[in-house]
Amino acid sequence: MSRIIDVGLEELSVLLCRMGELTYETVSLSLKGCLSGTKVYSQVREMSDALVSMSDQAEDKTFELIARFQPVASDLRTIKSYMKIAYDFARYSRYALDISYINEQLGGLKECEEWISEYIEKMSEKVLNMVRTSIDSLRSHNTELAKSIAKTEQEVDKMYFGYLDRLIEKAPATSKCTISSVLIIRYLERIADHATYICESVVYLATGEKVTLR
Amino acid sequence: MRSYRFRKLQNRIMISLAYVALIIALIPLASILIETINRGLSAMSFSLLFEEIPPLGQPGGGIGPAIQGTLIVVALASIMGIPIGVFSGIYLAEFRQSHIASVARFLNDVLTNVPSIVLGIFGWALIVVAIGWSVIAGAVALAIMMIPIVTRTTEEAIKLVPMTIREAAIALGVPQWKTTLTVVLSSAKKGIATGILLAVARISGETAPLLLTILGSRFWFNGFTQPTAALPLAIFNFSQSPFRAVDLPRAWGASLILIFIVLAINIIVRYATKEKYG
Amino acid sequence: MSYKIEIQNLSAWFGSKQVLQDITMKIKENIVTAIIGPSGCGKTTLIRCLNRMHELTSGAKVTGRVLLDGEDIYSENVDPVTVRRRIGMVFQKPNPFPMMSIYDNTAAGLKLNGVADRHRLDEIVEKSLRAAHLWNEVKLELGKSGASLSGGQQQRLCIARALAIEPEVILMDEPTSALDPTAAAKIEQLIRVLAEDYTVIIVTHNMQQAARVSDFTAFLYLGRLVEYGSTKDIFENPKSELTEKYITGEFG
Repeated sequence: MSRIIDVGLEELSVLLCRMGELTYETVSLSLKGCLSGTKVYSQVREMSDALVSMSDQAEDKTFELIARFQPVASDLRTIKSYMKIAYDFARYSRYALDISYINEQLGGLKECEEWISEYIEKMSEKVLNMVRTSIDSLRSHNTELAKSIAKTEQEVDKMYFGYLDRLIEKAPATSKCTISSVLIIRYLERIADHATYICESVVYLATGEKVTLR
Repeated sequence: MRSYRFRKLQNRIMISLAYVALIIALIPLASILIETINRGLSAMSFSLLFEEIPPLGQPGGGIGPAIQGTLIVVALASIMGIPIGVFSGIYLAEFRQSHIASVARFLNDVLTNVPSIVLGIFGWALIVVAIGWSVIAGAVALAIMMIPIVTRTTEEAIKLVPMTIREAAIALGVPQWKTTLTVVLSSAKKGIATGILLAVARISGETAPLLLTILGSRFWFNGFTQPTAALPLAIFNFSQSPFRAVDLPRAWGASLILIFIVLAINIIVRYATKEKYG
Repeated sequence: MSYKIEIQNLSAWFGSKQVLQDITMKIKENIVTAIIGPSGCGKTTLIRCLNRMHELTSGAKVTGRVLLDGEDIYSENVDPVTVRRRIGMVFQKPNPFPMMSIYDNTAAGLKLNGVADRHRLDEIVEKSLRAAHLWNEVKLELGKSGASLSGGQQQRLCIARALAIEPEVILMDEPTSALDPTAAAKIEQLIRVLAEDYTVIIVTHNMQQAARVSDFTAFLYLGRLVEYGSTKDIFENPKSELTEKYITGEFG
């Protein structure tokens, strides 16, 4: 016989997996849109709103589990982590929304110098991978995978500051590109941060250890 | 410290007193048993058990009819008295508050204390006067003696059955009357059996009612409407006989057998109602 | 989801003392409903009114209606015995019949009501013991005394006994109060499983148990129904201040 609380935990876990898949789609769509110049804002908005509502649902569920089942030890860590991760998933989608807003308002990166769009494309790939890693490590509670994100996080950090340096150096002509690329790269860096937070939560959930993967 | 030692001493004195009292209480019982067994055994023989009662003073013969008579009268009395007693006890236990119950309980208690000779006269007036000295008269008198004892002990035994057992059965949709007759009775059976035992043992040894109802005889059982022998009567007659040498041993033998019968009933009933799970 | 039991204006007395005041509530089918409240609030009396056991106490009186599938169990032509066959009960202190074996205990309700077919009894005994999650522990010892089991097992035996008569509703009066925490946890899990097939109503003085085990909770205080709602709402956001005070431990 499973424990009474297991039903609730399972529901929460399923909700988070669904959020994970949806948030990946959202970020991926937004980045593709921004790199290829297609208008994706309304779609991304819809998906992001859904994710925010799912995050509220998850928070609600967490509180219900705490009120009703007095969870302790691993159950309590799991619930705490799930709540944070749900919030982080919602944040992914909000940054994706911000990116597609820039795309919508300032025209994205298609008209910019090649080195800019190439740079950002490379960073997008890395960040999207980090998002993937965070989701996968959660699904399987895989601490090895979670910890591996530290390396990529450092690379992304380097790329972030590296870009700012290059921009100052090159001082390109089109100011629209300057602004949108800086904003986009900033959001990308934040997405990477949240991916790291998620992986830290996964490690805490699985082992009780509080690590810093930054 | 001084008061502690004093208390210990007090304790020891009390315990010793209790022991002494116990021994004093047991002495008569022990001596009765020992005497009876001793003298009874020496009078014991095959012929004692199975031969007809001879006239006083005549050697030979036995007390066979007395044994038979006691068994028959007690059995008949039990057949009449036990069911009435048990069902009365059930009624009193289940309808505790009713007016009839209070009155019945009072009458029952009074009946328990009626002297046995009065019951004898009652049996005589009721039955002997109508159909003569007979086994039936004796059985009726003894049954009337039995009933109050069985009723009271049955009522107590049933009252002891915890409410939880009754509730469990009632909650299963078993009607109340059925609950009483099956589950409650079953739980109380040890107590009820003990009560019945008490009653049977009591009447087996009663002499006064028998004097006025079955009269006694030297011969084997001859029909329910005829007088018959019985052990208490035999003991009485033989022990009072002037021919001590011949008759006294028979009296002791009869005593031993009577005690033995009561013991046997005891063991049989305990075995029959033995809880399957102790 | 329909209402299995509707309680309408139920009031109950012990002699001249009124113990329940005008209770009205609807109990849903196939869920666990918990009744909580401080000692003396009338929760045990309430469930004993649902299977007409309250009236067995001398001086007890009941007014109001209790509808089981729409029919008032207190109406003139309803035999309480039939009500109790549809609404079973498990008590606080496990009370298996001491002089019966495990098999006989489980089958007691059936045997005492006239079922004699050995085959059918065997079937139902196994089914009930399985449903009470006790079969595997006792299947080789069905002839042993019911009283030889541990407390938790005895309680499960009582549950099996109640299930054997195939009721529709199961009432439980503080079923785990007399058990150790591990045994209690097993019974709680069992209760959730039972709710899939039966309507379960449980009285408990342990609020956390009500929070864990039930879908709906009713809070009684001094014989009145103070609040009744989904367990989630009651424990996260009770509407009545009295409920809030009780749940957070300010009294009771």
